Amino acid sequence: MNYPFWDVPIIGSGGVIAIIAIFHVMISHFAIGGGFYLPMAEAKALREGREDWMRTLRRHSHFFLILTGVFGAVSGVGIWFSIGLANPEATSTLIHNFVFGWAIEWVFFIVELTAAAVYYYTWGRIPDRLHLKIGWVYAFTAWMSLVIINGILTFMLTPGAEWLGVAGTGQESGAFWAAFFNPTYWPSLVLRTLVCISLAGIFALVTAARIDGFAEPKLKTEIVRWSTKWLVPSFVLMPVCFLWYLWTVPESQRQLLNLGIATIGQGTFTQVTRSALVSVMTSATILAVVYFTAWRNARDFNMGWAAAVLLLALGATATTEQSREMLRKPYVIGEHMYSNGVRRSEVEHFNREGYLSGSPWAAAHASESAGDAAPDRGALMFRGQCLACHTTDGYRPMKRLLQGRDRASIMNLLGTLHEYGENSPYRAFMPPLVGKPDEIEALADYLDRVVNAGAHTAKAE
Amino acid sequence: MAVSSYPEPEAKTAAKKGAGAALFRWVDERLGIEEILAFARHKTVPEHAHSFWYYWGGVSLFFFLVQVFSGVLLLVYYRPGVEAYESVRQITYDIRFGWLIRSTHSWAANLMVFAIFVHMFSVFFMKAYRRPREFGWWSGLALLGLTMVFGFSGYLLPMDDLAFFATKIGLEIPASMPVVGTLIADIVRGGPDVSEVTIQRFFALHVVVLPLVYVPLLFFHMWLVQRHGNAMPPAEEAKPEAERRTIPFFPDFFSRDMGMWLIALNVLAGLAALYPWQLGPQADPIAPAPLGIHPEWYFMSTFQILKAFGRWFPGEAGEVLGIGLFTLVLLLWAIIPLYDTRTHAGRRARAATWFGYFVLAGLIGTTIWGYWEI
Repeated sequence: MNYPFWDVPIIGSGGVIAIIAIFHVMISHFAIGGGFYLPMAEAKALREGREDWMRTLRRHSHFFLILTGVFGAVSGVGIWFSIGLANPEATSTLIHNFVFGWAIEWVFFIVELTAAAVYYYTWGRIPDRLHLKIGWVYAFTAWMSLVIINGILTFMLTPGAEWLGVAGTGQESGAFWAAFFNPTYWPSLVLRTLVCISLAGIFALVTAARIDGFAEPKLKTEIVRWSTKWLVPSFVLMPVCFLWYLWTVPESQRQLLNLGIATIGQGTFTQVTRSALVSVMTSATILAVVYFTAWRNARDFNMGWAAAVLLLALGATATTEQSREMLRKPYVIGEHMYSNGVRRSEVEHFNREGYLSGSPWAAAHASESAGDAAPDRGALMFRGQCLACHTTDGYRPMKRLLQGRDRASIMNLLGTLHEYGENSPYRAFMPPLVGKPDEIEALADYLDRVVNAGAHTAKAE
Repeated sequence: MAVSSYPEPEAKTAAKKGAGAALFRWVDERLGIEEILAFARHKTVPEHAHSFWYYWGGVSLFFFLVQVFSGVLLLVYYRPGVEAYESVRQITYDIRFGWLIRSTHSWAANLMVFAIFVHMFSVFFMKAYRRPREFGWWSGLALLGLTMVFGFSGYLLPMDDLAFFATKIGLEIPASMPVVGTLIADIVRGGPDVSEVTIQRFFALHVVVLPLVYVPLLFFHMWLVQRHGNAMPPAEEAKPEAERRTIPFFPDFFSRDMGMWLIALNVLAGLAALYPWQLGPQADPIAPAPLGIHPEWYFMSTFQILKAFGRWFPGEAGEVLGIGLFTLVLLLWAIIPLYDTRTHAGRRARAATWFGYFVLAGLIGTTIWGYWEI
């Protein structure tokens, strides 16, 4: 157990968050979009007196309740655990600023879960109009939970000048609303709402695929085609909203994308551009595949195709979320806290007084280890400042990234990261390396051992 | 009530008006497009719970077409022989979008082998090798074998250290054959060791000899599929005629095939963009082999079997036993249509199915074992 440094081999702590979050994002967005799908479909069925639609919607609400109420809720708690372990400083900052926001979100969440259960269990037991109203209560509260959490998520990319002006003074809560309705809040809210709507259609196709197209061809064709229409708004409006979103992103972050686009031809383009490209491409593929397999062959649309569309949606979600995360580099909270939990305002202090003695996490670990033998200071530096984004062997591995470098070369690189010059190529996506010279030397020793194991090169005199 | 098939769509194109329809009529009058479409509309494909597996032949074909297209583009800049490494370095780092073409070619090669394996096992478990589809099975096996030779010969062409040593190790497989093994390996290498001469040979094999054999065989295979149609799995064949469902090849099956091709394209483009194919340092024949060197994943099973037998039975006996076992399984796999001939379920049908499970499990198991030991 490496707590307070969470050392997850191969995939890294970020990988754990990603695995949980990608599924959670997909399910939670379905929970919101599906919240609109169900009452709208029910209203249509009631209007047209379609018993067969009502039967299908009841089945869909069962699938909906289990998936969102169980998996969605559990994975949400999983995110809390993993972000708290992976980046306690950033999690602490968010809690301190938004505890009131989260309290509001949980109120909506409780109403949402309750309404979902009531909606499912009262099919055919209460008047149709009342049942429909419960559906709308669910839809509203589910969407409101997005309205709240979106403020916290977008804050991490663009906290805004007002909040940054008071950050670290203890007066942060006075800038709550400015931080909440930050520059990327509105475009992000519209984008996520559109994603919710399209995911509602995609998940509805899963239920529609289970209808026997040969026994009930009319019902299956109608429901499959009605569900595919839910993909249209997002695919029409997404490009415009995406440009709106980019327009609100700080110039420095936009440069990451621009740099990537400009260097596609050379193949050296940034990871954020790669992910964004795959996201756009996969989204377009979803639309085309749904057209070919669902719209054109509604009666034969089976579970295999529904699973294929779901997997594509999972791919689109994963790459979109990865792009959003990468766009924030080198920060975890824009312009305030670097991705390794070091605040911008602390850099000078750590360089002057030392990182290992100044960082509460490193100090706690150092004192715990001070029993039998002196702790490896280089390993502590690595855990404190590198582990948030790197591993030794797996994800973004040191062994590959530093391959071919001897200790002197590793030290040169660490020097560049420490100096953090305006023209440094690493400045766009990596935090500065902080600490006193002897701590950086200790990190170089450690990395040399990791990379050149068995062929340890002597320390340069 | 069971429905046997959809109502066939009318040929409406001829009756349509407008510039597009006029152009279509002009082309149709000269090339007979409507006749082909009418034929495609009348051709039907079985529709059942296992229809998903019908698309893997098409996916394999799609990746082959990608290989041809990207291979021709690579051919413009690739220089075999002593300049091989430098030309691949230029393609990867200097020429605009060269990295994309190379990554696409390499990833599509791997995906093509994977798709053919899936296609082969789905054909096997659907018993689609039975009369009258025996030649479809044999031509398919030959295509898989040729695809693997395509992969092996292409892997060396960049001549980086990984390619060099993986080829050296890969050539241990034919070299371990009794009596003729060394001779075959020497002929393939063009000498006792992998060198620039080997690149010239592999290049000629990769871009001339193999396509000359592959393309006619592929057409033969597709003609057989067209001639005999898609086979139904035994459970479906057991149903009365009235309960079997079919869909028209065009547009229903075709449009879903397009959907599957789009998914395949998306997977390929995603892999090429997120995990571009790397180029290692130039091969140095006198340097020691990098740690953990191994052949490509589709040769790993054979490699591991040979390695394990060599360990269990030191000396030539191990090599003979290993290659003997491998050859025996391959032979049995090829002659399965002559063994499992009856259309109804029986002892032989069950034995063949269990043999299929054994081969599939063995292939996956030895491949994982191989990677585990690296």
